[in-house]
Amino acid sequence: MSFESFKTVLTIGLSVGIIYGLVALGISLIYTGLDVVNFSHGEFFMIGAFAGLTMFNILGNQDWIFNLFPEAYGWIIYVICLFTAFVSMGLFGVFIERIFLRPLTKKGGGYTVAGMGIIICGFGLSVVLINVAYLIWNPVAKPFPAELGLPMEIGGIFLPITYVWMIIVGLFVAGGLWVFLNKTKMGLGIRAVAFSKDVSNLVGINVPLYISIIFGIACAIAGIGGTLVGPTYQVVVFMGYIILMKAFAAAVVGGFGNLPGAIVGGFTVGIFETASSFYVSGSHKDLYAFLLMIIVLMIKPTGFFGVQVKMKA
Amino acid sequence: MKVDKQSVVALLGGNGTGKSTILKAASGLIRSWKGTIEFNNEQIQNLPPHEIVARGLVQVTQGKDVFPAMSVTENLRLGGFILKTNQQLKDNLEKVFNYFPRLNERKDQLAATLSGGELQMLCIGRGLMSNPKMIMLDEPSAALAPQIVLDIFKNINRIRKDGLTVLVVEQNVRMALLLADYGYVIKDGVINVEGESKKLMYDESVKESYLGGTKANV
Repeated sequence: MSFESFKTVLTIGLSVGIIYGLVALGISLIYTGLDVVNFSHGEFFMIGAFAGLTMFNILGNQDWIFNLFPEAYGWIIYVICLFTAFVSMGLFGVFIERIFLRPLTKKGGGYTVAGMGIIICGFGLSVVLINVAYLIWNPVAKPFPAELGLPMEIGGIFLPITYVWMIIVGLFVAGGLWVFLNKTKMGLGIRAVAFSKDVSNLVGINVPLYISIIFGIACAIAGIGGTLVGPTYQVVVFMGYIILMKAFAAAVVGGFGNLPGAIVGGFTVGIFETASSFYVSGSHKDLYAFLLMIIVLMIKPTGFFGVQVKMKA
Repeated sequence: MKVDKQSVVALLGGNGTGKSTILKAASGLIRSWKGTIEFNNEQIQNLPPHEIVARGLVQVTQGKDVFPAMSVTENLRLGGFILKTNQQLKDNLEKVFNYFPRLNERKDQLAATLSGGELQMLCIGRGLMSNPKMIMLDEPSAALAPQIVLDIFKNINRIRKDGLTVLVVEQNVRMALLLADYGYVIKDGVINVEGESKKLMYDESVKESYLGGTKANV
C-alpha cells in the first residue's frame, strides 16, 4: 500500500462520497422537515442527471456559445446544466410534494403518525418515476460527454478532472445550504418547521409552504448530485436505486437527520468503499457501504453526530 | 365568551377541562366543529394559523415550547417572522429586551440553557415580537417558583398597560384573578361561572369548580 495509490483512493473516495453525502443531505432534510424517510429520493437524483444531460444535448449543438467563449465553452455549458438540474428538480420536488404527498397528509395525522402511508407512497413513487424515465429516455445508458479539460495526474494515475470537480461543487452546494439555513430568514423558518410544526404555526410561519420548500430544496440538491455524477460515469434510468441505498448508509453513519453528519457520513462511506474495493476486492463493491453501516450501528447506534432520536408523537 | 379590547381576561379551570383546547382553536391549530371565533369583527375559525398570527392574535405557549437548539435572539427573530422589514424587527427586539432585561443578558445563549422562568419570558417575548393586538397566554405560571411567577405577572401587567389585550389561561387562580379584570371558569368544556374578577375571587362555586367538584370519599 503505497502513498501514491492512497492519494488515488482518497480522491475517488471523496468524490463518490460527496455524491452520497448530497443525496443523504436531502434524505436528512426531508426526514427532519416531514418526519418521513423519502424512499423515492434516488429517483430525483436520476431525473436530475437526465435534466442536466438534456440541457447539455440542447446547448451542445449551439455554435454561438462556442464562438462566444472558445476557451471556457465546456465549463459554461456544464455550469448551466448543473443550474438546470437544480432548478428543475426543485420545482419538480415541490410539484410532487403538492400533488402526491399533500393529499395523504391532509387525510389525517399530518406528517407524523400517517408517515407510514407516505413511506409506502415513496416506494410507489420511485417505481412510477423509474418507469416514466424509462418511457422518456429508454433504458440504454447514455454518455454525458462534458468537455471539462484534460485528465489530472493524481497519485501516478490519470483521473478525469470531473472527480475533483465533483468534490468542489459538492462542498460548495453543502456550504451554500449551511449558509442558507443559518443566515437567512427562510432558513430560520425551515429550521423552526423542522423542529416543531405546532410552534412554527404559532409564530406565524406558513408551515405547508415551508414543507414544500424543504422537499424542493432536498430534491434540487439530489438533482445537482445526478448531474455531477453524469460526466464521470453514465446516465442510466436505474442509477437512482443504488445511490439511494448508499446515501441511506451515509445518513445512518453520519447520524440520521443531522445535516453536517450527512456529508461526513457520505465521505466516510465513499472512502471506505473505494479503499476496500481497491485493497481487498473490487468485485463486491456495493457490499462495503452496508458493512460499514452495520459496524457503525453496532458501535454507535446514533451514528457519528446523531443525538437522541426525535420522538414521534 | 368575550374578551374586550385592552382588557385582561382570565380563563380558569382544572386539568382537562378544555382551556388549552379553546386557545388551540383560537390560534387555528385545531379546527372547531361548530361555533364561531371572531377577532376584530372577523370570523377566524377556518383560517390557517399563520393568517391568524398575521391578524394580530398570538398564542404564547408554555415555556417548554421554545426552539432549544437556537439562540435566544433567533427564537425572538422567529417570533417576528411575519414582520416585513429589518427595522421593525430591531425595534421589536429592543421592546422585548426592555420588558425582559434578562433575555438581553442571555441573547446569544442557546435557549436550551435557560432556566424555567427565562424560558417563559422568552415565550412571552416571542409572542410580542409580531406586534400582536391580543396575546393568549397558556399557563404562564406552570412549574415555576412563586417569586418568578410574581415577576412574570408583573410583566404581563406592564404589557397590558401598553395597550395589549390579554387572555390568560391559568391554574393558579389567585394570581390570574389578581391580574385580570374579568374571569371565566370552565368546567367539562362549558363555561360554569363568569364575572368580575374581584367577585370571582370570593365566590364559593369557583373554588368548587376549580377543584373539579369532586369530594373525597373518606
